[in-house]
Amino acid sequence: MLQVQNIEKYYGNKNNVTRALDRVSFDVEAGEFLAIMGASGSGKTTLLNCISTIDTVSAGKILLDGVSIADLSQEELAKFRRERLGFVFQDFNLLDTLTVEENIGLALSLNHTDPKAVQDRVRDVAQKLGIIDILGKFPYQISGGQKQRAACARAMVAGQSLLLADEPTGALDSKASKNLLEIMSAMNQDMGATILMVTHDAYSASYAGRVLFLKDGRVFNELLRGERGRSVFYHEILDVLAALGGDVSDVI
Amino acid sequence: MTLSKLSLRNAGRQARDYLVYAVTVVMAAALLYSFNGLVFSQEVRQLSEKMNTLPLVIVLASMVVVCIFGWLVSYATGFMLSRRSRELGTYILIGLTNKQVARLFFLENLAVGSAALVLGLALGGLLYQVLRAILFAMFGLSYHFALNFSLPAMGLTLFYFALIYLCALGRSRKRIHKMKIYDLIYLERQNEGVVIQTGKLRRRIFAVSIVLGVAGTAMLMAGSLLIGITGAGCLIFALFGFFLSFASGVPAFFEKRPARKYQGQNVLIFRTLTAKLATMGIVMAVISMIFTATLLTEGSGLVMSGIFRGRSVESACFDLYFGIEGENQDPGPYMDYITEHIPVEQSVLYQVYLSDQPQVRDYVSSRTVYYCYNYDQDPILCWSDYAALRSIAGYPAVEPEPGRYLFHCMTYLEVPLRDYDQPITLGDTTLTPGSVYTEHLSQSLGVTNGRGYILVVPDEAAEGLAVHHLAYAAKTLQPVPAEGYDALTDIAYREYNKQENPLGYGFVSTKANEAAQVAVQTALLAFPMFYLALALAMTAATILTIQQLSETERYRSQFTLLRKLGVARQEMARALGRQFAIYYAMPAVPSVLIAAPFIFHLARIPEPGVMVGMNSPGIIVIISLGIFFLIYALYILLAYVSLRRNVLSQ
Repeated sequence: MLQVQNIEKYYGNKNNVTRALDRVSFDVEAGEFLAIMGASGSGKTTLLNCISTIDTVSAGKILLDGVSIADLSQEELAKFRRERLGFVFQDFNLLDTLTVEENIGLALSLNHTDPKAVQDRVRDVAQKLGIIDILGKFPYQISGGQKQRAACARAMVAGQSLLLADEPTGALDSKASKNLLEIMSAMNQDMGATILMVTHDAYSASYAGRVLFLKDGRVFNELLRGERGRSVFYHEILDVLAALGGDVSDVI
Repeated sequence: MTLSKLSLRNAGRQARDYLVYAVTVVMAAALLYSFNGLVFSQEVRQLSEKMNTLPLVIVLASMVVVCIFGWLVSYATGFMLSRRSRELGTYILIGLTNKQVARLFFLENLAVGSAALVLGLALGGLLYQVLRAILFAMFGLSYHFALNFSLPAMGLTLFYFALIYLCALGRSRKRIHKMKIYDLIYLERQNEGVVIQTGKLRRRIFAVSIVLGVAGTAMLMAGSLLIGITGAGCLIFALFGFFLSFASGVPAFFEKRPARKYQGQNVLIFRTLTAKLATMGIVMAVISMIFTATLLTEGSGLVMSGIFRGRSVESACFDLYFGIEGENQDPGPYMDYITEHIPVEQSVLYQVYLSDQPQVRDYVSSRTVYYCYNYDQDPILCWSDYAALRSIAGYPAVEPEPGRYLFHCMTYLEVPLRDYDQPITLGDTTLTPGSVYTEHLSQSLGVTNGRGYILVVPDEAAEGLAVHHLAYAAKTLQPVPAEGYDALTDIAYREYNKQENPLGYGFVSTKANEAAQVAVQTALLAFPMFYLALALAMTAATILTIQQLSETERYRSQFTLLRKLGVARQEMARALGRQFAIYYAMPAVPSVLIAAPFIFHLARIPEPGVMVGMNSPGIIVIISLGIFFLIYALYILLAYVSLRRNVLSQ
């Protein structure tokens, strides 16, 4: 579904170049739950920004369903983000002037969905994510976990095919984190959502089916969960992080 | 770094962040200085004897303007204090005393105020020249540019500014003195609290305020002082009620219509707006009141100047004119003075007759609003006198029409008179209607060429008719000086008093005197009105803009998110534009709905024939709105460009 081919990203000017991404390549299959791990500054967010078309790559190609996103015009990119990508951010990014229902419905109205159908679709998704009771509330009236679930609802309500999550549990306590991750797993397994999650939390990553490790802008390792249990996978992840060298305290 | 250095640096930042406010303060100084220039100008006072009251009128208007700008500065400094409370709290946190922080804030604002004053004085010098040029043009004098600074005007401006700033800053100073670190650090948060409460009560208030608004506007036009004041009270209640309940009324509206809510960007636009309104409902109501006051003052100013010009233009068609009511009047005393003192190029001494019956007057009264006093019958002029009058007034000659009578009328009677097809009978002559002419021919007052209209008949047909008054019109070699007008008016007064059974009322008019009168009346009444209107409009638009630009950060994060959600730049610009348009339209719409009918009504009050052409009620309303929206648009444009640059930049 998503193919990342040899992408590079440089920042800075002629005299001082920072290489944020260095020949990164990987594929994401439809229906996969992929986590990308790495310490601060390893290039995770840059990678996510490039995939989400918010940033551009310096070299290499990103193909989504065989289409190179670099070939799209500004308008096509906007349309692409609107219809194909769903976002979940660390700081929720809900608009505080809109109710939860309106925040979720916004994605649909931006997609020019028939206005009459919006409410039903929002309710449908909210039901699945267990936030039906708080639809009428404003973001400042609900908890962090609820906010993040509302963000998940917004990310999938318009039928987006790829959900991009940037440290989704970063601002949540452990209980809310667990709850959210279980919901994301359910979205992946029951609803067939393809999820690409960036995190530096091993616990969160252990919910994924595959984990990519980034270090200094390069893919350092890759770990597949296969049929193993989540706790086994979690320890394997910790082992890889230890092997990343010196950064363990930084990543857990 | 010393405290004063920090203050100066902050002042620079303040001027950048609140550019619109800084520009308005500069303009305020310029406006105050330029009008103060008129107060102390000898030259302006010499324009006419009656201009002696101008300084008093302007000082009174300036006092109101000082209050308006005082409120603006007070509001803006209070607003900045809330916005920057965290920063000020940090100063206290690192060891400055409240007193020092208050001083810092005081010095910083004083620096901005002083810089604005200096710039404003320079700009005011130019603005004063514009006012001077307008005044000179009104008095028909040639204008020469002469840049000179008046020290007393500067002193008075400084005094006004000191008043404005010391009051406003005194208040902020008190606030800072009393504040604790916690308050300062969390004040910003308090200000941001979104209060959205829906409820039956609010919806009821909304309905009541609409009713009160309509009733208040109607009462304002009732013409009675007591009802008018009650109406104004209703309008104040209506505006507050409207803006305080609106924020909850809109969500309720959309709640019932989910399909409308999710159409396009409606949800985004209306929520941003209601959140803003919920926190600034009272400010919006005050701004709407100020806008209403702006439109009313400006409209009244235009109506007044319209009345002055409309009344004068009719009488100003002859360089010199006098009329004496009654038959067999003696023009001797007038003529003696004119022969001796006023060089005349062409003149005519003639009589205005009366027909046997008021058939045209009755017809006109039935067709339109017509004030007929002074004439119980139709006024009549004979052809030769009419031809002479046209020549004196400088109008093209017209062909006589044998067997017909012509109409010469004011424009407001043109249409009904063109439709008139009845013959008139004078003695044994019967005449049918002929052409209609509408040039100004001194027809608006009693002892002039008819009231609104006059019938022009062949000389022989006028023989034997009753005389209404004796009249004289002349084209002079030079404009008749003010002394000439005064002397002739004295003669009229003396002659009138001499008569035992006074009916021989004398009326004198000169083109120069009419122009001077319009100029004096406009300078004394309309000028201060425009001065107030300008100050009011600038103040309200500035507060709206400060409020809007202070939300830049919120807009930026909103649009960053929208971009991630896949909204194209163009669409975001459109959404921003719509949010902007609605935000700025909100306080202006009720004001226009209240003021436009009132101004229209006001412009219809004067006698018919005065408010015509460019002074007609509809046009006055359009001009009032046009001037207001021109000033308003400048602020909107400034805010939009700034916001768009900050919010939608890559």
